[in-house]
Amino acid sequence: MSVEVRNVTKTFGSFTALNSVNLKIESGELVALLGPSGSGKTTLLRTIAGLEFPDPGGAQVLFYGEDVTQIPASERKAGFAFQHYALFRHMSVFENIAFGLRVRPKTTRPPEAKIRVRVGELLKLIQLEPLAKRYPSQLSGGQRQRVALARALAVEPKVLLLDEPFGALDAKVRKDLRRWLRKLHDEIHITTLFVTHDQEEALEVADRVAILRDGKIEQIGTPEEIYDHPASPFVYDFLGNVNLFSGRVHDGKVVIGESHFAMPETAGETDSDAVAFVRPHDIRITRESGGQKTFPARVVRCNAAGPMANLELERLDGGGPFTVQLAKEEFQQLQLKAGEEIFVELKNVKIFPDDFSI
Amino acid sequence: MTAAEKINAPHRMSEPPFVRRLLIGISLAFMALFLVVPLASVFAEALKQGFGFYFQTLRDPMTVSAIKLTLIVAGISVPLNCIFGVAAAWAIAKFDFRGKNILLTLIDLPFSISPVISGMIYVLIFGAQGWFGSWFSDNMKIIFAVPGIVLATIFVTFPFVARELIPLMQAQGRTEEEAARVLGASGWQTFWRVTIPNIKWGLIYGVILCNARAMGEFGAVSVVSGHIQGQTNTIPLHVQILYESNNSTGAFAVASLLTFLALVTLALKTWVEYRNNELRGTAFTPVPVAKKPVNNL
Repeated sequence: MSVEVRNVTKTFGSFTALNSVNLKIESGELVALLGPSGSGKTTLLRTIAGLEFPDPGGAQVLFYGEDVTQIPASERKAGFAFQHYALFRHMSVFENIAFGLRVRPKTTRPPEAKIRVRVGELLKLIQLEPLAKRYPSQLSGGQRQRVALARALAVEPKVLLLDEPFGALDAKVRKDLRRWLRKLHDEIHITTLFVTHDQEEALEVADRVAILRDGKIEQIGTPEEIYDHPASPFVYDFLGNVNLFSGRVHDGKVVIGESHFAMPETAGETDSDAVAFVRPHDIRITRESGGQKTFPARVVRCNAAGPMANLELERLDGGGPFTVQLAKEEFQQLQLKAGEEIFVELKNVKIFPDDFSI
Repeated sequence: MTAAEKINAPHRMSEPPFVRRLLIGISLAFMALFLVVPLASVFAEALKQGFGFYFQTLRDPMTVSAIKLTLIVAGISVPLNCIFGVAAAWAIAKFDFRGKNILLTLIDLPFSISPVISGMIYVLIFGAQGWFGSWFSDNMKIIFAVPGIVLATIFVTFPFVARELIPLMQAQGRTEEEAARVLGASGWQTFWRVTIPNIKWGLIYGVILCNARAMGEFGAVSVVSGHIQGQTNTIPLHVQILYESNNSTGAFAVASLLTFLALVTLALKTWVEYRNNELRGTAFTPVPVAKKPVNNL
């Protein structure tokens, strides 16, 4: 266990940013903190770094079993990369990276020659050796982010904390850089925790993803676990587009409009309101009615730009609009046009009781 | 104008030429009348009785004593206000605390109050009939003495450094300091290696303005000084005394020192502004180094 957070609560005035959060991160893991803005993910990261202190009352932050709750940021040996990089604007790239080594007390400070070697290695790692003498204002966003990472790594941190590492970059650089981060992590195996509000980023890069909502961890698991088995409607909704079908649950069956689905896990429940969650790509479209398995709908709009066709449909029984995603090939075979009436079948339906909120 | 010339003439969005010339002309004439002419007349008047008299006035013991006192007063009040300004700006820009807005308003007080009143406050507090007057008159003379002049000058000049630094530090935020802390820097290391270099030019600018005001202050100092020649006379007060004793050439000679200081201040200020803009406006020139894919470690 390299980083552990126990029972951490943090309030700013009347706002509760973190509400008794518990989190364990294994040594060498790459974990994403995912959540909408205001969910407390950055506060949690800053608390681990020692830039914020949890409210008193049994809160603990542990690094490799050692209680660091009361230890200031400067002595925690955590590497932190800020959302807007926070590079020292009056220092060159080289001096930025060397900073953490130069400020060490005389007894532990490496000699100048060693500092040069270490910074050289890091510059090589981030592929910016020719830019060592540049100033931050002369770098692009992606280059600045890499310098910020190298600066954090220079002090050989016990844990690397990244706040929205790719948040301020454009889409292309973002994708390159997150693959680079994953590769970097696979090589140096440093325990890493990064904050993001982009579910695609979290699912692609992280070993495990923790989803935060209103200062609490809603669910934590591998990307596959949380995507396939979301613990709550919030997680389900946050991880991708979703259609909601309101209906009723009755003894192992879900009734939506005219159609019935067998739902064994709801056995025993009698006649309660429920909402069925279905991803747009888990809806099948047929020309023929499949009996009780299907229900009729009308095509409102088709958008076939890109690798998938996105359709907007409407239930004929007045149950509201929903979206469907089809492979381009299937879309072309069906020859769908706006205004046509077709039948839809739902797959991988997930039922949550009707008192949810997203 | 031929048709071809009309087409080639640059398309103007602004006013016709005569309006622009008129506006520029008015501003230049105004400047000449109210700034350049008086400025030139100061030096002209000062040298009216020749260089000999000019330097004789400056070498006069009373003038020398006024110059010395002015330098002492500025030498004490500018460093103190420098420390106060950095501390106040740091507190306001980097921390959230109760009473922040009150502090911010109080810093502006000397700007909004007449300097005469600033002087009167000190007479009221430390004067012979003042609140602490009897205690101080036994131990240390404040009013009609150098300490009073220093206090009044500090009061009048304390917004300059703080006002210059607050917006600068607020714009810079605290993330660079946080980054330094996480990297293991102590509070002092963070201050000297990160904060001070970032505010350096703003600080110099504030100090220049603060110094100009400290040396040139008349109203507040006039109230607390008592105008004792050779003891509590600063340069501006000495100018007044010379002028009132019908030695107008002498008064202008001493005044030329202050005018010269103003010109130097102006030049320094322009240079600092230029340096500052140059640093802030460093052109954004990303350099494509990583021709190979970034994910290639």
